[in-house]
Amino acid sequence: MTRSERKGLSGGCQCGAVRFHARLLGRPSICHCRMCQKAFGGFFGPLVTAHDASWTRGEPKWFQSSNVARRAFCGKCGTPLAYETKYGLELAIGAFDEPAAVAPVIQVNLNDKLPFFDGLTSLPVREHPSDEWLDFMAGVHSNQHPDHDTESWKPGGEA
Amino acid sequence: MSEVVSGGCQCGAVRYRFNEPPRGAHICHCRMCQKAFGAFYAPLVGGPVSTFEVTRGKIAVFRSSDLTERGFCRDCGTPLTFHYVEGEWISVSIGSLDHPEAFPPIDQHGVESRIGYVNHLHSLPDRPSTEEEDPDATARIRATNHQHPDHDTAVWPPLS
Repeated sequence: MTRSERKGLSGGCQCGAVRFHARLLGRPSICHCRMCQKAFGGFFGPLVTAHDASWTRGEPKWFQSSNVARRAFCGKCGTPLAYETKYGLELAIGAFDEPAAVAPVIQVNLNDKLPFFDGLTSLPVREHPSDEWLDFMAGVHSNQHPDHDTESWKPGGEA
Repeated sequence: MSEVVSGGCQCGAVRYRFNEPPRGAHICHCRMCQKAFGAFYAPLVGGPVSTFEVTRGKIAVFRSSDLTERGFCRDCGTPLTFHYVEGEWISVSIGSLDHPEAFPPIDQHGVESRIGYVNHLHSLPDRPSTEEEDPDATARIRATNHQHPDHDTAVWPPLS
């Protein structure tokens, strides 16, 4: 078993309506293609090949992004969850309970890489928030599912 | 004429615009942004609510806490907006803009949750492009791509 082929890991969407488990993970990657950018609303798609994976709570919705690929997301909160082709299923790394355990090892589709990507890590860090901001954050009651499986869960946050 | 900045979801059911350029581009590493985007961080840029309008469809909303609404496309899931319920500012996901390259982030927020490997992503080895690796699949994807183009359209989906 290589470093990236780990034992099973779980994850799910932000509201907790959809949960998944994969018994074996393949190679984690980041994909710079414009379709991944758009599907994730981000700069790239962070995805890991999943083997023997199942939806352990709820079911995602699917968008057929082309005739060869479809993308899963939570219909209640929108979290991007997966990308699937005939070659298999890939899960969104940020949706895992422990994304730090799924470190990407390769970058793909560099043609669409955003010009500022390589410089992101050297951006200044926003520090020393104001007291007003700290008070505001202290008032947050999160509707996000915790980063572990739960016996029962009632998704909140219906707007 | 003011500078309109437009964007939308992957499938094109939702399109939006800012009637003046959004600002304050940043990436947020907090765990709630990670989760909402299924990713390592959320790239956001925003403007006053009064400058923002939805020009097609309707944004679905998940209230990720009492204070916060996160908007997404009900039909394809693209994460679209971030808004404090009582605030006058709304942010959009930079990846959903028609020209994300025009909004380079200027700083990083929520760094207490930054994932360790994020600072090393740019030095990962590169694979050849999909065009080079699998031209047939690339051609099929291109011919059947259901992603909305990166500009406003009068009619969507296209009349066939």
